[in-house]
Amino acid sequence: MSINRREFIKANAVAAAAAVAGVSVPAIASNLITSSDITKLKWDKAPCRFCGTGCSVNVGVMDGKVVATHGDIKSPVNKGLNCVKGYFLSKIMYGKDRLTTPLLRMTNGKYDKEGEFTPISWDQAFDIMAEKAKAALKKDGPEAVGMFGSGQWTVQEGYAAVKLYKAGFRSNNIDPNARHCMASAVGGFMRTFGIDEPMGCYDDLEAADAFVLWGSNMAEMHPILWTRLTDRRLSAPHVKVAVLSTFEHRSFDLADNGMIFTPQTDLAILNYIAHYIISTGRVNKDFVNKHTNFRLGETDIGYGLRPEHPLEQKAKNNGKSKGSSTPIDFDEYAHFVSTYTVEYTAKLSGVPEHKLEALAELYADPKIKVTSFWTMGFNQHTRGVWANNLVYNIHLLTGKISTPGNSPFSLTGQPSACGTAREVGTFSHRLPADMVVTNPKHRAIAEKIWDLPEGTIPAKPGYHAVLQNRMLKDGKLNFYWVQCNNNMQAAANINEEAYPGYRNPKNFIVVSDPYPTVTAQAADLILPTAMWVEKEGVYGNAERRTQSWYQMVTAPTGAKSDMWQLVEFSKRFNIEDVWPEELIAKKPDVRGKTLFDVLYKDCDVGKYSLDEIPDDRLNDESRHFGFYIQKGLFEEYASFGRGHAHDLAPYDRYHKERGLRWPVVNGKETKWRFKEGSDPYVKPGSGWDFYGHKDGRAIIFALPYEPPAESPDDEYDLWLSTGRVLEHWHSGSMTQRVPELYKAMPDALVYMHPDDAKSRGMRRGDLVKLISRRGEVQTRVETRGRNKPPVGLVYMPWFDASRLVNKVTLDATDPLSKQTDYKKCAIKMVKV
Amino acid sequence: MTQSSNSQTSEYHVASLIASCILAQVDEVKAAILAVDDTEIHVTSAEGKIVFTIEGTSHKDIGKKMDILRVHTGILNLSPVYHQVLDESVDDDATKQ
Amino acid sequence: MKDLKLVSIAGLMALLSTLFLAPILTSFTVHAAEKVEKAEKNTLATLRNHTEIMTQKKPNRMPKVINNDIKQVRNYPMQPPVIPHTIRSYEVNKNNNKCMSCHSRHRTEESQAPMVSVTHYMNRDGNFLAEISPRRYFCNQCHVAQLDAKPLVENTFIDMHSLMKQKTANTTEH
Repeated sequence: MSINRREFIKANAVAAAAAVAGVSVPAIASNLITSSDITKLKWDKAPCRFCGTGCSVNVGVMDGKVVATHGDIKSPVNKGLNCVKGYFLSKIMYGKDRLTTPLLRMTNGKYDKEGEFTPISWDQAFDIMAEKAKAALKKDGPEAVGMFGSGQWTVQEGYAAVKLYKAGFRSNNIDPNARHCMASAVGGFMRTFGIDEPMGCYDDLEAADAFVLWGSNMAEMHPILWTRLTDRRLSAPHVKVAVLSTFEHRSFDLADNGMIFTPQTDLAILNYIAHYIISTGRVNKDFVNKHTNFRLGETDIGYGLRPEHPLEQKAKNNGKSKGSSTPIDFDEYAHFVSTYTVEYTAKLSGVPEHKLEALAELYADPKIKVTSFWTMGFNQHTRGVWANNLVYNIHLLTGKISTPGNSPFSLTGQPSACGTAREVGTFSHRLPADMVVTNPKHRAIAEKIWDLPEGTIPAKPGYHAVLQNRMLKDGKLNFYWVQCNNNMQAAANINEEAYPGYRNPKNFIVVSDPYPTVTAQAADLILPTAMWVEKEGVYGNAERRTQSWYQMVTAPTGAKSDMWQLVEFSKRFNIEDVWPEELIAKKPDVRGKTLFDVLYKDCDVGKYSLDEIPDDRLNDESRHFGFYIQKGLFEEYASFGRGHAHDLAPYDRYHKERGLRWPVVNGKETKWRFKEGSDPYVKPGSGWDFYGHKDGRAIIFALPYEPPAESPDDEYDLWLSTGRVLEHWHSGSMTQRVPELYKAMPDALVYMHPDDAKSRGMRRGDLVKLISRRGEVQTRVETRGRNKPPVGLVYMPWFDASRLVNKVTLDATDPLSKQTDYKKCAIKMVKV
Repeated sequence: MTQSSNSQTSEYHVASLIASCILAQVDEVKAAILAVDDTEIHVTSAEGKIVFTIEGTSHKDIGKKMDILRVHTGILNLSPVYHQVLDESVDDDATKQ
Repeated sequence: MKDLKLVSIAGLMALLSTLFLAPILTSFTVHAAEKVEKAEKNTLATLRNHTEIMTQKKPNRMPKVINNDIKQVRNYPMQPPVIPHTIRSYEVNKNNNKCMSCHSRHRTEESQAPMVSVTHYMNRDGNFLAEISPRRYFCNQCHVAQLDAKPLVENTFIDMHSLMKQKTANTTEH
């Protein structure tokens, strides 16, 4: 600050002297520069880099640097507002430790798994990568190569990666970190509706009479949606807010009915509400008869641990479960939920009966339009798909769905969890537009669009996120590329799985990142990566809104975008390196070509000329490859969904709009899906049409409460929940490098009840160890922060690279969605 | 530019001055001014008036630097206009630790 | 910690003999730096402060909130100012907003606190309201207090003012 103060008084000094001398003050010494040539900023729109809300921001550029950002007044999502992270977007690209050269572990000038990180050229980097990938493919086939991608990839990057792996390498071992974040939501949508992503949109926020937050701390995690919810609650006094969580957090500040429940018992509460609706005679019978089916789901499905784990051995349907179910009728369903009485549920959950009744009444009362929001509390859950199914049940029983304000709404964590991970289908079992690799018709469609011989895409789902780490450890997955995420800081139980996997001498690990993250440190090769407005791209937010942005500044010399890396790397492979002769024989014209030719250049991706890019626009990738590659990737990808209820507008239009919500039909976006009048895919006269299922009906599932994988006992006597904080996102890899955000929340503390601290002889600020059956982490005690856990539960966020709470967490997953449960495991705490 | 060459004390001084020069010798005077540590020329008028600043760490420091210039034959008159001292010993330490 | 030690040793030496100070200090620093590199191989994750993944450095003490009431310059005009004081036990909930008891328009004369910006009186459609807009109600979504912690990584962001100064410097005579 002293320099600025000095400049300030110096300017005063100069102004005084200039006035005396009778000369005009030169701009440099003036307090105010008014020359418009100098003060001019170039403004452009971009979606925010952080969460799934998908705010639009205006980015101010001067002399090739981002100098300012602010909320875009024209964006319907945020109408000029940002949260504290969004306001500091300007600084995320300027951490001093940006990577600008590939780094390879070497000894005496040669790659060595135990060597030291040494700068090499991009050419050398691709040489060693190609060598290792080819060796793995040759030795053990496509299953030996894999990739871990991201819901922070642009749509084009995700699409380029899927094509490279599923078509090029013929490996389905590609999964996004959205697996940790959204997989249970996807599972819930596919099971209940047969089509992914929310039916409603953010306009529900201004229309609802009641909001229920299920395991979602919107006040910190989706601040701009929270501002809209707050606006509605405070300006319309009849509106009620109910908040459920396993500990008290900032969203409780607005709660009319705040409820703390014992972990996992949300399943029981959801069934209780269904029982309440039925037993008080408030089922919307007309809706239920016309638009739903009832099914009884398979139970005792295990916890997604390794098969030899005792819990898996014990579970009846361990590992085998595909989420199968049998048809039942309404009466059978009513009988099924009738065990969830208010008395039973209150006892199990710890929520007082009157609070449960007040909550249930919000759903049951036909006059109240109710919107449910959930995020990681539901999704990071060993029964996450069930939790999603169960909340749809109560909206379907009452017909409170797909109309303004009546909305079961799954929120997303990453900026393009929907756009890239889900819609593009970067999961190990998926293809674009909700298609799956296990379905021969779906593979045939993809092979036709990609102009590939029949049988190119393998039918067996690849390794999902958690399985990838296990397979790395077991030496089955040997060439592994991580882009755009920080899984060594995110994945659960790194002590036993991820770290031994990355450091297994059989494996070669590549990590692409703008910064030296924990994951980069665990790699063998690090690739410096361009980020955000250093490239052109498209993101898709939680309300199906697709948003694009132009490249605005050049990346630091040496850093290249994820898409550039993927496409440039593809030049290193001839089709003969990756496809067997019988496949090539089916399409002989690919002979002698590279993967770059087949996948990107000589197909629809390569057909848009550079002339379509305005001269004054940067586009480093397209100018490198010689065609408008972002447009080509987008348009080819969009051809999967057009005409199939996933319609996207022409690419160029997104550059002019603040995003559009798909399906975009006849140039018009869709606000509420499945409802006649607002969704063009609904059959006329049907009222509602859940067209994801062939019979147009959504499914109400009978699913029970089942206990969590691990609960506190005499030795490990506390619940541990992990999660995020307002100031940091994406493991803190960007936000921890912004001084203001760092200083607002520098360290991950363990939040605990003062009585829990006292009974262990601990005080605020004490150094403590959190110990689980898997590992331990040290931090300091916070007893009066923003989170107020009940006795018996502690909360520690995971943004802090120096305090890795994922050494402690359990890698149990939902066996259906394969998503990790980060919200509950058993630990003990000791003073250090 | 604004960094003082001697940062031992916690004071920051800035003085602004006008040097009225013999027109023919303006360039020579300017060179002489810039030869002194921690000076900066901000504007020169057509009539030969040079507006410049001297920065330093004490009154004495500023005075010494002025004295070097005072005797220059190209300068008709050297008038100090403004002098401010910034005490940086209490400079927001809290934010700097 | 390492820095602090260096300084105190240097201070001691200065007392003993100013003559030898410079050379001794230099060699000492170089030596320390070499040691760091050799002991901790491949620890480039900046935010881990040179620590291998399977180990952990002792967590630093909990920093205190900066409470000096000195306004910090903003990085750009639209940046929400950070809070230069402690907000411990400030209630902001649906019944109460402690921040506004000083920062609302009609309280600033007594409190001498800065008034919230006029944008905070605008609703979603840009119309002005008589009181602060409910969409801006939770101040802590944008405004954060600062703890007395030293950032782990420097940020090289340049604000537009500095860039403009560079430009004007290049176009004016010197």
